[in-house]
Amino acid sequence: MLRNGKKLTASLLLLFLVVFPLTFLSAEAAGAPVGITILHVNDTHGRILPEVEKGVNKKRPVGGAAWLAKMVEKEREKNPGGTLLLSAGDMFQGTAVSREFNGKPVLDVMNAMKFDAMAVGNHEFDWGKNVLADLSRAARFPFLSANIRDGDGKRPPWLKPYVILERKRLKIAVIGMTTELTRYIVKPENVKGLSFLEAGDALPPAIKEAKSQGAKTIVVLSHAGLDADKQIAQEIPGIDVIVGGHSHTAVTTPVVAGRTIIVQAGCCGHFLGVLRLKIDPESGRVVEFMKTRVLKKVYSGPNDPFDPNIAGIVKRYHDRIKDRFSVVVGETAVDLVRNYGGESNIGNLIGDAMREAEKADIAFHNSGGIRGNVPAGKITLEQLYAVLPFDDVLVSMDLTGKQILLILEQNAAVERGILQVSGLKVKYDMTRPVGERVVDVEVGGRPLRPGKSYRVVTTDFVAAGGEKFAAFREGKNVRYGDDMRDALVAYLKRHSPVRPEVEGRIVFVK
Amino acid sequence: MEERLTVFVNGKPVTVFRGMTVKHALISLDYALYRDVRDGKAVVKDENGFTVGLGGALHDGARFYLDMAGRTGCR
Repeated sequence: MLRNGKKLTASLLLLFLVVFPLTFLSAEAAGAPVGITILHVNDTHGRILPEVEKGVNKKRPVGGAAWLAKMVEKEREKNPGGTLLLSAGDMFQGTAVSREFNGKPVLDVMNAMKFDAMAVGNHEFDWGKNVLADLSRAARFPFLSANIRDGDGKRPPWLKPYVILERKRLKIAVIGMTTELTRYIVKPENVKGLSFLEAGDALPPAIKEAKSQGAKTIVVLSHAGLDADKQIAQEIPGIDVIVGGHSHTAVTTPVVAGRTIIVQAGCCGHFLGVLRLKIDPESGRVVEFMKTRVLKKVYSGPNDPFDPNIAGIVKRYHDRIKDRFSVVVGETAVDLVRNYGGESNIGNLIGDAMREAEKADIAFHNSGGIRGNVPAGKITLEQLYAVLPFDDVLVSMDLTGKQILLILEQNAAVERGILQVSGLKVKYDMTRPVGERVVDVEVGGRPLRPGKSYRVVTTDFVAAGGEKFAAFREGKNVRYGDDMRDALVAYLKRHSPVRPEVEGRIVFVK
Repeated sequence: MEERLTVFVNGKPVTVFRGMTVKHALISLDYALYRDVRDGKAVVKDENGFTVGLGGALHDGARFYLDMAGRTGCR
């Protein structure tokens, strides 16, 4: 028995000596830090073609979906099974091809590139909730935002707060965050019925829920801007990484706030963010990360490699945009002619369209923003893009009669590029000194009253004080509206054929 | 919620409407600054030294500097 007992002890000892190191080694292998790569872009703003961006490189083109896709492919090859591809939002608005196909060109590219998730940015609402919901339904990856609620306090069905992605047996929660200022900076109708919670109210419950689902590592995909991201990292515990957007910041060295790593990849698809992490699989904590070369420029010159499949998608849409540009959106019975130094009939037309779009008393538009004439006849979309090439949006505000008078006096002082008007008639006596030239103003057929408040619409360029019209910066109850071109297209569709005239809205007595 | 926010460009305060971007702050201060950045003669950097694009959102109190020699920009 004893002998047998000794044998048993020896056997157990042998077993222990053989098996324990194997188990330990095995446990060490299983517990070794996991290499995860987060590839990321943000604020691509519809750009799927290369462009020369002098701030990045004077001559060599950058950006372009096909070139970006090739870089993503190469990075995935470096860490197969351990790579995520994320977007921090504002992907669709910003180019004609994306606008005319309601973001579908960008979405098709993202689907083909196999994005894993996208945060919803404020510009995702530029074309209304329905367009955004359609895009979300057509996406093969989730649209994320943990802080958007509908009128019932629930999450819209086309939106997820987070997604859990598993890489190398590590569960990583990616939680979306949309700037809470969206309700102030988007056309109100486009976010009607939605509320945007503060990060402090939305993220902790989402983190808790994701962890209860087994997530070890928490990534917040944030469209809030770098300064807000730093604040989030300082105030909300449990976030390992913030992949950001909104401020278009080229974060060339990861920012560390508290125990959170923050990155952002500039804008416009000019950069691919590449964040390499070593993560402890037990705690989910980042134990090591690459601190340099986290932004890679997406060069897209003739000798730079690109993905032919993505190039094909882009080409198909650009072939179709030619047809879309030839679509007739209205008709004019007269030539539409601009005039930088005085009233113009095209300025009157644009001003009327702006005023109607925003139901304002008065519209002001800078002559310098009108870049072409249109001959009498059918008006195509391409012609409108030539007339209004800038991506201006409507901004309406309350101004007093006194402030409007100041603007009109400034208007009389500029040598070129006066403001075109709608809803208002002004007479200037140019023989009088600067600042005393306005001799008569009517709004809606009645004399302007200095103490009265008027609703005024202009463009974001002018509202910022562009062309030195500083009085616009004093406006109250500011509201953002549609893109200028969209407002003009809508007006032309309602009123064609149009016959705008130079009708004495701006009269100079010399 | 305040309708306006103030940022600092080259140390000078600029007050713009909430929702406006780096581009608007430059226009508001001096159109020539905006033109230089648009034309690639300068880039805008934030207080961390990172380049920010003209379309970048503003945060109340943010500080920006124009780097006339720098690159690595975006819109």
